Formats: sequence, structure tokens, C-alpha cells
Amino acid sequence: MDTGRSYGPHVAQAPPEYSLCAGCNSCEIICSLVHDGVVSPSRRRLAVRRDIRTMMHTVYSCQHCTDHPCYDKCPKKGTAMKLTPDGVAYIDESGCIGCGLCHKACVFDPPRINYVKSAPKETRRARKCDMCLGRPEGPACVQWCPVKCLTVV
Amino acid sequence: MYGYAGKIARINLTDRTVTQIPTSKYVPENIGGRGVCNRIFWDEMRPGIGALEPGNMLIYMTGATTGTGIPTGGRSVFTGISPNSFPEQYAWSGIGGMVGAELKFAGWDGFIIEGRADSRVYIYIEDDRIEFLDASPLWGLLVHPCQRKLEELHGDGVQSMVIGPAGENLMRNASITTSNDNVAAKSGFGAVFGSKNLKAITIRGTGDVRPYDIEKIFDLRLKMGSPYMRPSPLHREATHGMDGNEIPVEGGWLRGQVACSHGCNQHCNRLMIDMKSAFGDERINQVEKCVGIFAYGFQEDCSWTPIQNYETERNHFLPCKMLSREEPEPDTGDPHFSELFTPVRGDVTNYWKPDFDKGSVMMDMCNEYGIDKWDVIVWYMTWLSMAKKEGLLDDLDFGMEVDVESEAFVRHFLDMITYRRGKYGSIFAEGMARAIRKLGKEKYGDTIYRGRYSQMTGERIDVPVSLETAWGHSYHWQGRGFEATINKPGWIATSLELMNSSRDVQTVAHHHEKFENYLEYKDDPCHSPLLVEGVAFDENKAEIKDSVTCCDWQSPDLYWPDMEAEMFTAATGIPMTAAQLSEAAERSRLLFRAILIRDFGRCRDMEVGAIFPTMQYPDPFGQTVGWDEWNDLVDIYYKRRGYDIKTGVPTRPTLEKYGLGDVASALGCAAN
Ligand code: SF4
Ligand code: SF4
Repeated sequence: MDTGRSYGPHVAQAPPEYSLCAGCNSCEIICSLVHDGVVSPSRRRLAVRRDIRTMMHTVYSCQHCTDHPCYDKCPKKGTAMKLTPDGVAYIDESGCIGCGLCHKACVFDPPRINYVKSAPKETRRARKCDMCLGRPEGPACVQWCPVKCLTVV
Repeated sequence: MYGYAGKIARINLTDRTVTQIPTSKYVPENIGGRGVCNRIFWDEMRPGIGALEPGNMLIYMTGATTGTGIPTGGRSVFTGISPNSFPEQYAWSGIGGMVGAELKFAGWDGFIIEGRADSRVYIYIEDDRIEFLDASPLWGLLVHPCQRKLEELHGDGVQSMVIGPAGENLMRNASITTSNDNVAAKSGFGAVFGSKNLKAITIRGTGDVRPYDIEKIFDLRLKMGSPYMRPSPLHREATHGMDGNEIPVEGGWLRGQVACSHGCNQHCNRLMIDMKSAFGDERINQVEKCVGIFAYGFQEDCSWTPIQNYETERNHFLPCKMLSREEPEPDTGDPHFSELFTPVRGDVTNYWKPDFDKGSVMMDMCNEYGIDKWDVIVWYMTWLSMAKKEGLLDDLDFGMEVDVESEAFVRHFLDMITYRRGKYGSIFAEGMARAIRKLGKEKYGDTIYRGRYSQMTGERIDVPVSLETAWGHSYHWQGRGFEATINKPGWIATSLELMNSSRDVQTVAHHHEKFENYLEYKDDPCHSPLLVEGVAFDENKAEIKDSVTCCDWQSPDLYWPDMEAEMFTAATGIPMTAAQLSEAAERSRLLFRAILIRDFGRCRDMEVGAIFPTMQYPDPFGQTVGWDEWNDLVDIYYKRRGYDIKTGVPTRPTLEKYGLGDVASALGCAAN
């Protein structure tokens, strides 16, 4: 989906001629395992959308818009939504109040911020890809995809 | 609790109530999956209930590894009284997909479905909330449209298990389908859904599954199924099929590989892209695994290479590498290399000529109607082919000339049986075992087909027109029928496994044995405690796979015996050894056997009577088994298992050894 924006380095799915997503959801699993030590659809920072009929699946991840509208809309920016020196917007969950404005501001459909509205207020947080900030091996989903169909572009 | 979600839902369709059972009532003693199902069924059911009666209970369980990222843990299992077993018996059916993990994210390890709804319903589970919703908008829908509709109703990301028209119409081999065309098919539980007025179960879970040891999970991901982690591009294949059934496909066909279940690090299912559909002009994608390849052409049976069953330390690999064509290079320096890798060519069967589009239509109809493909390809269609050639069908009016090579006939026949159209539709919807008896087994089942030839001896192989083996199932790696080309020690083992079961068991207990053991008993398999030990090992591993849970295509690894125990401990933090898992498997098998004895009259005479005749037809080498040698083998097996030799009932000391004194009393086992 072309939004006419420019993007920073982000996780992207390779075309099936290079490698077909096996639809195993390992990327989602690994994502929430390395970030939170659990497996949970509410905690994954990227999403596998499954197509029931074609059985060809699409991986959606934050593309790190250089103008970061999600960051701009966060009422707690600096405490919840933060920017790395090279412009990667990430969420410090300890400061997040779960208002969902970042999710609303995301220019993509589906939004690349995982926000479970039905979660209880006390635990409701937004979550997005942070490129596995500080992880020497880089994004864990890319490292562990069994068919190497995820790359950083 | 690490690994487990912590509770099981009891869902009563009759009064539309839901209650909770703590999973800790059953675990860790019964591990999870099938082990827990067997315990629940034993505790709660009684004899005299029919598979399609409201009293039948369908139990669904995940394992501690489900939803943890431990490869193959996404598999899960249904158990209940199977309408497809003949006679009806307690059985199980495994299923992959994402649905088990989703259920755990919703906070449930499994559910028990009881009763019968007074109108058509589907169940919607969203975290703690379980609702009974009106299935009128879904009833009558094919499998994929039904899955789509549920996404429309409940949003992207829900996971569903659904039945198609076959299940609605109580076809005894109806399947339950979930994502990536994963099915629970073998036991006909789709018909149990139908009998309960239940069209689907849709789940959305937003919670967490917390595994105990994340570092270990990464280790397991690396080690299980190694080597892996390389691109898996779409391939254009010039031909389809194997072993004499190859079809050149004009313009080629596009093959991808997909995973079957949540978190698996393999991609053993073939995705066939842009295939002919049975329903409209749109091209479709379909998944092929194992038996599907014979839908397209079946002139020759599957070949057999000993490495499929017998392994050495230098040469053993996972079956999941086969369909993705990623087998490691064999080690030619292995002193047994040539014995292990010399293929035995399958019998010439002359069932149907290769036809890519017709095969695709057959597959699509099975997928959309929700019918067990195995029964269609291996049994209905082969029977139609053989019975026609033997002139048996002249008096049966199917409303169309029988011709399994005609797409129009395949469509007509599958429509007829799914919707129970006409006299024969209803007869065949009862499954082949029952249909053949209704028509008259002597003529329609036992007539010898004279068109099958061994490629090993050049001789005609006289097997009957109906490829029926024990328990209302068709032959599977049993020396006759489909995948017949296994040698005698091999089919002796698989037949013993089938005898102790209530359905085809080669889907989860594919026989694996060390080649060195095979060399010990190959000349006299029926008198070998070593062979029996191998059978007990594979049976126990099957129980473990369906309980931990993990996949038949990755387990067992004979040279990594602790794999399943390591998976379990990584998920739960509960220390576990291979020996302890084996003990749990013995307990689970004893419960399974106790259920068969208490509720379905299982005894030695019954099971020997069911299996022995199936081995009286010649294998591709002309071999059969004698009454005395088979019974000698059964004696050795019963002794190994701790059963009474005369009756086949587990003895009290055996049951007590595994903490099942209550079962011994219920079975009336004498104290000794
Ligand atoms: S890990 Fe790779 S193959 Fe599996 S769903 Fe994610 S992108 Fe697809
Ligand atoms: S949900 Fe959290 S990160 Fe998103 S805008 Fe609100 S406070 Fe900021």
C-alpha cells in the first residue's frame, strides 16, 4: 500500500518467488516471546493475516514512517511513544495509558499498531514494532522465520 | 501454570450451559491432549451410547506445548465415539491449524461438547465468554464459504473449525476443517458435529500463553527439523504425481509449501496453486499431503523404501522433509545404505489414469463438502473402479454410468453421497464398511479384483474389490491395498498396531524401528519380543505425540529419545524424562483399552478376529501370515503389555502399577 510517505528501515515480506510465507505464525510468536516472555496475539508487534481461501498469507508490520504520525498523536510522547536518535518510533509500555490515539493515527489499513480495545483498561497498551531495539541480532522475526521470507528493507 | 491455560470448558448443547473444569484435575499425570481425553471419557461415559446420539461426548484437547512456539505443538486432538469405525468405537482424530493455540489464548486448554442443540447453532468463544449462536446463516454452506462467513461475522483473525454438507448430512466419514485445510477426518467426527446440530466453533483469544523456558524453545526450534531456515520459493513443476502416476501438466503447475500448525518450523504441506475448482470458474489453491497425490492418478501403488521405517544413526530423517523435498543427502558410507535406500516398486493397480483436472476437482469436493479424502481416494473410488471391472455394478443404478475416469461421474457420485441422494446416496453416506455390508459383502466386498500385479514377482495379486482392513478402515501400509509395498516384518508390526486400535493408526504411529533390530527379527517376526517392543514403543510414542502435543512427522526421532520430554518441560517447567512420558503413555493406553473393553466389548477374540482375515490376502511378495504364528505374536504382545493372554483384559497388577486400581475394579479384574 503506497501512502506516498518515506519510510525508515522496517520488516517486510519477501515476494513468494523468493520465499512463500508458510503461514506458521512463528514471527508473531517469536515477537511476543522476545518482548514479553509470553505468546499472545495481543502482544505481537507484527501480524500475519491469513487468507482462508488462498492460503497465502500476508505479514503486516510497522513501516516506520519518517514523519511518524503515531508519535505525533500520542498525548504521552516522550513517556509512552518515544523516538530513537535515528527516528524509529517505539512505545515504552510503562508510560502508555492505552488511549489508542496512535492506533487511530496509523496511516495503514490494517493499522500496524496492535491495540486490543477490548482488553481491561488497567492492562490495555498499544504495541508496535521497535525493530527489536537493542537486540544485537536485529529483529527476531527476521532471524527466526523458518523460510526466511522476512527481511529488513 | 506454565504451558497450560488452566481450564477446560464443559459445553452442554442441550441446555446451553458452560461450566469450567480446572485442567489441574488431569495434569500433569495425564500430560494433556489424548491422555486427558482418555481419562475424561473413562470417568464420564458409560456403555450403550451411539456415535450420533446426543449422549456421545466429543472431547477436544490441546497440549502443554500448544501456543508456546515449540514446533509442532500446534497440533490438537478430538476424541469420542467414532461413527466411522466399524463397529462404532471410541477413537480419536488429530488436527493441526491455528485453532488450538487460539483456544489457549482465550484461556482454555480444551472443551467437552455434550448433548444436542434443539436448533442449529455454532459456538462462539471469545476469551471467557462462550456463546451459542444461531447457525441458520451458515447451514448448508461449503467449508471455505462457511469459514469466510464466520470471519465476516466476527472479524479477521478469528479461528474456526467447521463442518461442510457432509457433516450436516451425517455422512459417517465427515471431517472437521480448520485453517490451511487441516482436518480431523479419520473418525468421522464431522458427523458428530452434525448430529449435535453444531455447524462450527469460532474462537478469538486475546490472552497469553506463558511457556516456562524460552531459551529452550529457541534451542528446540533450531534442533527440531534441522536443517532449515532457508527460503522456500514457489516452484513451477512440469509434472505431477509419482511412481508410475506421473502426469505432464501443460504449462506446469505452481507448488508452494505451507505449515500445518501454529508455530511449526516446517512447511510439509504442499500448496497447489491455481487449480481447477469443482464449484465455479475461479481457480483455487488447495493443500496436498500424503494421500491426495493419488487423486490425480492411481495406476500404480506407492513404492516403499525401507528408510521410511528402518533407521540407522547415520541415516534417519523426518518425513516432513519429504513433501517439501528437503531431505538431507543420504550418507552413502552407511554400511546399510543400499538396503535402506533400495525402493520396492508398488503394485500395478490400474485404478485410474492420470488426470490433473479431475484429481483437482475430487480434492476440492472433499475439501468443500468436508469428507475424509482418504476414504474417497483409497476406498470409494478404488472400489468403483475394481467393482466395475469385475462386472459387479451392472445391477446398481447410480443414475449415471460408473466411470471413475470421468470428472462428471466423480462429481455426480460425491454429490450423491454427500447429500444422500437416492437409494445409493444414503447407503454410501454410511461409509464403505457399512455400505458394502448393506449391498452384500460376499459379492460387493470380497470378490477378487483381477487387475492388480506385483512388480516384484510379476504375479497377479488377488486382493478383494473393497480394500477394507480392520475397524471399518482401509489398508494403510499393511501389505495390501493402499501403500501395500512394505515387507512382511513391516506389515506384521503395523497390523499389530491396528489390531490394538479402533481406527487406522498409521497416521500417528507410522512404524519406526532401528535397522539393527529389524535385522534381528526379519526372518521370524511373529516370534520376536524385539518386534513387540518396537510396536509398544511406536504405540507409546503415538500416545505421547497426541498428548504433549507434537507431530507424527517429526516424532519419534529414534536418535533423540528425549525430544518430546524436552518439549514438555520447556512448556511447563515440570521435569520430565522419556521414561516418565512412556509411563504416562502406558497409562493412557490402558485407559483407552479399558474404554474399549467396558463400552465396546473389546476382547482377544474380537481383535484377532478383526485383523487376521485382513492378512490372508497376499502381499506383493505373495506372503501371508498363519493363524498360529499370528496368535504366538499376540501372546508375546499381551505379555509385554500386561494383559490376560486369554481375554486381552489388562490384569489388576498392570493397572495398579499405573495407578489405575479403580479401572481394575470397574473391569472386574480379579485380585492376584
Ligand atoms: S515466520 Fe515467516 S513463514 Fe511463518 S508466518 Fe511469519 S513470515 Fe510467514
Ligand atoms: S496508546 Fe499508548 S503509545 Fe498509543 S497514543 Fe496512547 S499513550 Fe501513546
